[in-house]
Amino acid sequence: MKRLIPLLLLGVAGSACGAETGRLSAHDAWIREAPPGATAMAGYVVLRNGTGSALRCDAASSPDFGAIELHRTVIEDGQSRMLRDQVIELPAGGEARLQPGGLHLMLFRPQRPLPTGSLAELTIRCGSQTVTTRFRIQPQP
Amino acid sequence: MRPVPVPRQTVPSQPPDPVSADDSASRKILLVFAGALALILGLVAALQLGTPARIELSSGTLLKTPRPLPELRLLGDDGAAYERQRWEGHWTLVFPGFTSCPDICPTTLALLKAVDARLGERAARLQVLLFSVDPERDTPERLRDYTRYFGPRFAGITAPQPDDLKQAAQALGVAYAKVPGATPDSYTMDHSAALILVNPRGEIAGYLTPPFQVDALVADLERLLDSP
Repeated sequence: MKRLIPLLLLGVAGSACGAETGRLSAHDAWIREAPPGATAMAGYVVLRNGTGSALRCDAASSPDFGAIELHRTVIEDGQSRMLRDQVIELPAGGEARLQPGGLHLMLFRPQRPLPTGSLAELTIRCGSQTVTTRFRIQPQP
Repeated sequence: MRPVPVPRQTVPSQPPDPVSADDSASRKILLVFAGALALILGLVAALQLGTPARIELSSGTLLKTPRPLPELRLLGDDGAAYERQRWEGHWTLVFPGFTSCPDICPTTLALLKAVDARLGERAARLQVLLFSVDPERDTPERLRDYTRYFGPRFAGITAPQPDDLKQAAQALGVAYAKVPGATPDSYTMDHSAALILVNPRGEIAGYLTPPFQVDALVADLERLLDSP
């Protein structure tokens, strides 16, 4: 069963807060430093759709990770659940905030040690657009 | 107890003024009102004295009667049994989760680390336990490395036998379920989001429920840690 839930989308068309018009952009990208023994990490970023049409983000890749999935944590009926949404809908001029306790990039099998302060480069694909950005590894934002 | 002498009602020296009949009626009303007020105050005082001071939590609820934990077959992150006496003598905050959970588990533990730091000296009376519902992947060693990262008073427990895990989860009021992933090793676990408070007698004292806020948790825990 695949749940395609349209995600929280603040319409910030043409706003002054750095949305680059005409293309997809990524901001405030970071990855939570993994506690010892953790085999997966979580990445957070704000994606802005500066294009005039809706975009569907459904893939991410990086040489630093074995696999990347788009996940969402929800708390329903007192249960923490992780949903494999695999899709983020970005309306024209809108944004999606990936943040702790909600939407996140699940980063499997780090390919090298990623201590606090290091950077990992990820490419996120949203339909015809892709954005490549560096994520800073840190314990907290 | 000796009865307190009641002063005799003084008789007015002057004859009642005929125009003050109204006044006397309002005095009666006043007396009835004062009597009712005294009764209410007395009842409130009796209730206050009759029940011990109850702590109200802003981030959860305390049970009216704490529930003793039964004998559980839990394993500590030192590889030794986590027996009854290890719950005693300090408060415990139990967080159900697992280490292969990159978002909500480290987010909550990082928040509890901030709470622990804010509690200052009181934090010495608080143990934070990650109760892993994923013993398949979470060995004691892995739990130890993972939890100590958040602080010296952070530790892990689990139960390698499925029946033991079920029993411990039931006793703690924790629900969990395995959810398959894309590959056999990428499964995830649904688990209760509430934190369980265990008092220094090894009894479940209450539950803390999300969304968690550092300030509210600090205020609640300060009062609990200071209570007898």
